[in-house]
Amino acid sequence: MEVNEKEAVKEFEALSFSIGDQEMAFDVDYVEQVIDKPEITPVPKSKPMIKGIINLRGRIVPIIDLADVLGSYVDESKYESIVVVKYNDIEAGFLVESVNGVLRASTSEVEGIGSLEKYGEKSKGLIKKGNRLVVYLEVSRIIDEIAGEEL
Amino acid sequence: MRDEYLGVFIDESREAIQRMNDILLEVEQDPENMEAINELFRILHTLKGMAGTMEFNTMMTLCHRMENVLDEIRNGRMKLTEDIIDKLFKGADILDQMLNMIAEEGTDELTDVDVEGLIGHFESILGQSPGGGKASGKEEKREESVEEEGESKEEEEESLPIEVTDELIHVAKEAEKKGFKTYYIKVFLKEGTQLKAARMYLVFHKIEDMGGEILRTNPSVEDIEDEKFDWDVDLIVVAKQDTEKLLKALSSVSDVDRVIIKEVSLEEVKKQQEKKEEKPKEIETKKAPSSSPASPATSKDHDKKKKKITQTVRVDIEKLDTLMNLMGELVIARSRIVETLKKYNIKEIDESLAQLSRITLDLQNIVMKIRMVPIAYVFNRFPRMVRDLAKQMNKEVNFIIKGEDTELDRTFVEEIGDPILHLLRNAIDHGIESKEERIAKGKPPVGTIVLSARHEGNNVVIEVSDDGRGLDREKIARKAIERGLIDETRAATLPDEEIFQLIFLPGFSTKDQVTEVSGRGVGMDVVKNVVESLKGSVSIESQKDKGTRVTIRLPLTLAIIQALLVKVNDLVYAIPIASIDSTLKITKDDIQVVQDQEVVVIRQEVIPIIKLWETLQIPHDEESESMNVVIIRIGNKKYGVVVDTLIGQDDIVIKSLGKLFRDVKEFSGGAVLGDGSIALILDVTNLAV
Repeated sequence: MEVNEKEAVKEFEALSFSIGDQEMAFDVDYVEQVIDKPEITPVPKSKPMIKGIINLRGRIVPIIDLADVLGSYVDESKYESIVVVKYNDIEAGFLVESVNGVLRASTSEVEGIGSLEKYGEKSKGLIKKGNRLVVYLEVSRIIDEIAGEEL
Repeated sequence: MRDEYLGVFIDESREAIQRMNDILLEVEQDPENMEAINELFRILHTLKGMAGTMEFNTMMTLCHRMENVLDEIRNGRMKLTEDIIDKLFKGADILDQMLNMIAEEGTDELTDVDVEGLIGHFESILGQSPGGGKASGKEEKREESVEEEGESKEEEEESLPIEVTDELIHVAKEAEKKGFKTYYIKVFLKEGTQLKAARMYLVFHKIEDMGGEILRTNPSVEDIEDEKFDWDVDLIVVAKQDTEKLLKALSSVSDVDRVIIKEVSLEEVKKQQEKKEEKPKEIETKKAPSSSPASPATSKDHDKKKKKITQTVRVDIEKLDTLMNLMGELVIARSRIVETLKKYNIKEIDESLAQLSRITLDLQNIVMKIRMVPIAYVFNRFPRMVRDLAKQMNKEVNFIIKGEDTELDRTFVEEIGDPILHLLRNAIDHGIESKEERIAKGKPPVGTIVLSARHEGNNVVIEVSDDGRGLDREKIARKAIERGLIDETRAATLPDEEIFQLIFLPGFSTKDQVTEVSGRGVGMDVVKNVVESLKGSVSIESQKDKGTRVTIRLPLTLAIIQALLVKVNDLVYAIPIASIDSTLKITKDDIQVVQDQEVVVIRQEVIPIIKLWETLQIPHDEESESMNVVIIRIGNKKYGVVVDTLIGQDDIVIKSLGKLFRDVKEFSGGAVLGDGSIALILDVTNLAV
């Protein structure tokens, strides 16, 4: 039993960034790169949380307003960077205000999401690092939701 | 060195074998076609030579025997029978397998194929020929050429086509002290020889193997490696062997036509050369063509020749992808420079920037086009395959290919071959009836299978159709019910088309159905899977006793299309030229309202108007007095798409917008423009709803 408990505690790395006044993080395994926000070409009639597309080294990558996905609002002009992730062959960029860097944490520092119910399965929990509280987001879930959502 | 040429060898041999198959098909139709037989002979001869150079001896032997048989035939000593044609086909197959083996394992020894048996068979064919036997024309020729050599020796007596320097004399002298002799050697390759450089390398290798040393070559070693020579090369060599031994050794190198060897004293030669220089004209007229590659006239000749030979270059697809991505980055970097420089307003740089832009754009277009290949790459192998299958199944098939120059993206070429093969196999096996059956039905005794490709809007459409017995609705329905894919009541009510679609279901065909006659079960789900993985679709139409047509539609993802770029607000949209009828300017007054629909009347034609900003639901200012209209065609209907400005025509590469935009039907993709910005490509068929 003791062994199992020990195994359950895992170290992981997450890329932390800020949206609104909230610090959030993606698992680094999904993150491809971080870029400055370029000119975004809007795609008429697409889903509201998709702000458009960018040309990323010849590839067309959709840009997603994470605040919109999470049910809040941030003025688009505040966004300065884009975190590009890849999951299940879908490449997507998430608009963020600033990138804080890579966060090393262990699963023991992640608390259940009880208090953050509004994120539902889009979040894996809350990382507590000293006085920092970071929403640990589930990239796969977020992308699945956007991709699966039919009009 | 050998490795260096292996790629070229494999590529050229592949081409040769493909060509061989094509010609064999021709010959099969017309066994008296001497021109084709001659061509076959030449191909095999070249192939044999190449295999010999690369030291693939089994391959060489097989080519050699095939070549001998053809030689007998073209000389009228033997008749081209069906059996021989079959054996030649078999030979082509084995050569192809050997080539695969060489590519994979580096050896031409096939373990599971009886190559010896086939070679033996060709030998026994030869044995029956009156003039026949093993003494092939080629071997005789070689012996002749060696004998000839004696005479040509004198022709070349006058002087050496290699400049003799003091340094050269010194080296030769040093060698002579050690018992070496100095030779002038001229090696002639057979005219038309492939892989000249490789062959020359073998000559050099031979000399070095015998302990000799090459002091000087004309042309230079670099030029020889680049194949910048006609068919002959001059060498100054020191070796211990006597003339005869050298001659024998060098003549045995494959595709060496003849060799001239002279023992020389370089000092003497130098004296002679100095004398000759006093009357340079004579040298020029006599020696210029082959011995002074440095002179501009001859090197130009070489270039011309090269152009004729080198038409294609093979490139790894990954390299093309990288090139494409780099291209994208270059474009972006350029536009950044442009942006930055704008701030400083430096006049002097404008022109060079404009030039840079033009060059990047041209470069981009070329890179894009490089990725496109004609579908002939896929179709080429089918005539042979259809012939074999038809023969195997005892059917007579007239196989027609249409639109083989339709271009499609390279990635499709690699994937789409197998599905088409499945379809063709089905058409022959299940579609086309036996001759007797066809006659009984009052159809032409020979069945027809048509494989076609064409561009249609934003799709590449590939069709396989036959005039066979068609699909059997009842049988398919029964099988589908048996397999629990559908229940009986539904089976009875479904229209034919939907019943036919059932054969694409994974559970529909299992192995035991393969032999059943009318079910098109074999691998249809595989076909569907592959096509769908390429984001395409497949459909089937069939009429009893009239035939069956399977249509594969592939998107032009990554394909280049011509598009008209237009602007609404600040954004650029692309409309495929293929669906554009014309463009015109209208004024507000030209628009009339008929049944709640805005229309314009152009040449007595009433054309509904689509305001792009309304359809796309984007905010737009008041309309101006005059408007640009792009008339598009959807089916046989026309629509006028109103836009703000027309920018111009451009080649664009369609890129998918990805899964997140699956719900947006108005766009078929996006295209990265020359300045790095993106234009959305309008899917016109979904605009007018």
